[in-house]
Amino acid sequence: MSAVAQAAARSAHPGAARVGIGGPVGSGKTALLERLIPRFRARGTNIAVITNDLVTREDAERVRRSGLIDPARVLAVETGACPHTAIREDPTLNLQAADALEAKFGPLDLILIESGGDNLASTFSLDLVDYWLFVIDTAGGDDIPRKRGLGIVQCDLLVINKVDLAPYVRVDVERMVREGGQVRQGRPILLTNCHSGEGVDAVVERIGADVLFDR
Amino acid sequence: MLKIDHILGFATEPAVAEALHDLEHRGAVEYLVLSPADTQRHRLRALTDRGTECAIALPRAQQLANGAVLLLEGGRAIVVRMSEIEWLALEPRDAAAALELGYCAGNMHWKVEFAGARLRIALQGPADSYLERLAHLTRDGRVAVQQA
Repeated sequence: MSAVAQAAARSAHPGAARVGIGGPVGSGKTALLERLIPRFRARGTNIAVITNDLVTREDAERVRRSGLIDPARVLAVETGACPHTAIREDPTLNLQAADALEAKFGPLDLILIESGGDNLASTFSLDLVDYWLFVIDTAGGDDIPRKRGLGIVQCDLLVINKVDLAPYVRVDVERMVREGGQVRQGRPILLTNCHSGEGVDAVVERIGADVLFDR
Repeated sequence: MLKIDHILGFATEPAVAEALHDLEHRGAVEYLVLSPADTQRHRLRALTDRGTECAIALPRAQQLANGAVLLLEGGRAIVVRMSEIEWLALEPRDAAAALELGYCAGNMHWKVEFAGARLRIALQGPADSYLERLAHLTRDGRVAVQQA
């Protein structure tokens, strides 16, 4: 496509849906990202990725080396401070990265923005994303949902990952879902095992329905 | 599902207001009521007061707001109405309580405004969940909950 044609397509396109993925350290955000990318690509979604890390670019390098996506479509933001500062208080670096990806690879359908691992109070600014997921895991304990962290209460979609580990860490997943549903007043919760891919299709369908409107 | 990819105008614009006025008389204006938080989004799915499902995908340069007109054709219109912000008003007893309340609100990243001696918190969820986190200040009267 010529530069002029690309510019025309961009002007007729509303811009990519921007979807955040946040959650505590080690809950499986990057693993979920690695499971989401091939599924979105398989359904024809034109996708790019931004990862946020504290003082390294390790997550971006991991995704670039995965072979799941053109490495140039993965940008890293190095926050240098608490990760939530770059997704909530001042999302400028992420906004610039998203704009750069749209300019280079647009018209994009979807930009996934992974936060650095943070605490339960971490949230995304809606100036940056249109929709955001918060990923927790069973190994963090089944009391996490009822503690009503801002991330758990306010996110658009709560993902409880590592459901396969629940029996080994003596966690009651049904209780997590029930109490999560109470604090979230019925807003959606999905269960995943990002190691096997179990439950990830439902996450894709949910994002597709809520912000891509392609099905 | 009605796909909307741009804002046509605002109800405050004279030409738009005139068109809406006529449609309102014919009962042909639907309202899409959104929370202040949802108006920040550029993509969302929502139902109008008459049940029309809207799938909104706006360019980044456009912003949903009260009075944004999303549809104005075929003898009908869809207009955004922003729901009112609910406030929790708190009045500290003295300077020490005010300092602690201010610290707590900032630490929780709550959106606030100042109204004389009161701190008003813009609620983004049930008031009880805010009051629970302020219990250490309210139970001994250092901070009083007031009518918003």
